[in-house]
Amino acid sequence: MDKELEHKFVKKLEENQNIVHKVCRIYTNDRESHNDLFQEITIQLWKAYPKFRGDSKFSTWMYRVALNTAITLYRKSKRSIKTSDVDFMEFKIKAEEYDDEIEQQLKLMYAAVKELNDIEKALVFLYLEDKSYKDISETLGITEVNARVRMNRVKTKLKNILNP
Amino acid sequence: MDELELLKKDWKRREGSLPKLSYDEIYKMILKKSSSIVKWIFIVSILEFVLWTSLDLILRFLGVYDPTEGTYLEVFTYISYFFSYGILFYFMVKFYLNYKRIKVTDSAKELMHNIIKTRKTVKHYVFINLSFLAIFSFISVFLVYYSDSVDPAAEELPLPVLIITSIILISIFIGLIALLYRVVYGVLTRRLKRNYEELESLDE
Repeated sequence: MDKELEHKFVKKLEENQNIVHKVCRIYTNDRESHNDLFQEITIQLWKAYPKFRGDSKFSTWMYRVALNTAITLYRKSKRSIKTSDVDFMEFKIKAEEYDDEIEQQLKLMYAAVKELNDIEKALVFLYLEDKSYKDISETLGITEVNARVRMNRVKTKLKNILNP
Repeated sequence: MDELELLKKDWKRREGSLPKLSYDEIYKMILKKSSSIVKWIFIVSILEFVLWTSLDLILRFLGVYDPTEGTYLEVFTYISYFFSYGILFYFMVKFYLNYKRIKVTDSAKELMHNIIKTRKTVKHYVFINLSFLAIFSFISVFLVYYSDSVDPAAEELPLPVLIITSIILISIFIGLIALLYRVVYGVLTRRLKRNYEELESLDE
């Protein structure tokens, strides 16, 4: 029974692992902490899995657990990430597809996102994932109105970081 | 906000460059439970250290050791300290090293090897500790028997009676400690064993 559950879980996680990697990408700056966070999220997902009843989609549930884990860890360690810590190397892919100006702009945007707090990062992440406000509110456990209000604040904050 | 839209596009484009873990790699992650079990073995050994030390301090404070002052029993007490704390300290370090090693392990084979090693350390620890307790309890019974400063009533007991009584009492005492170890460390090592078997089935 246990074995079967394990197999099912690992299979599903393997199929949906992109979600966890993307959460790691938003919350961490280097490969090592990316892997640490991935591991931690996997363990939390596995612990919570017996309670997953399937009333929501597996991926929706994953978003929720993964973000909660990242937020909790972020709070525990009170890690504040300095812009200088951000490893831009990770973003230097296929630069030829962009012109320099856009690439520069993207770099600044990613750096600005890294300066946001844990909840704001979660909002931006779900926004980048093209989630509706309804989905965002369900994943983060807030009302839809609240999600909209918060997202607008984040947008303003990002604007202020980019144009001080 | 245009920049955010630009970011969204870029975010999508980057999906292709995300790492891809295999089924086995993910499976091993949930087996990392081993590392937390080994951490608990280490923590329990620290708790044990605290328990014995505080018990000893309480007895000392209550004056239980007072009659032994200045006698060879006091010397014996110090010798037994030296050994018991030596053993405890040595194994605490070993447990810690096991934990450190298992924490950084990333291959299943190595993890299996480390699990066996940890289980062995625990077994050695329990065996050495119990033997030490048995030997030292026996010696102390006889030292008390032949010491005139402690309990004059004890001397009135015939030697065979003393030997039989102390064997029974010491066996009960050792049995109780063994039971305690079985409960505390037994639970942890059984979990390790289960993880080991899961790893083994993965390897097949």
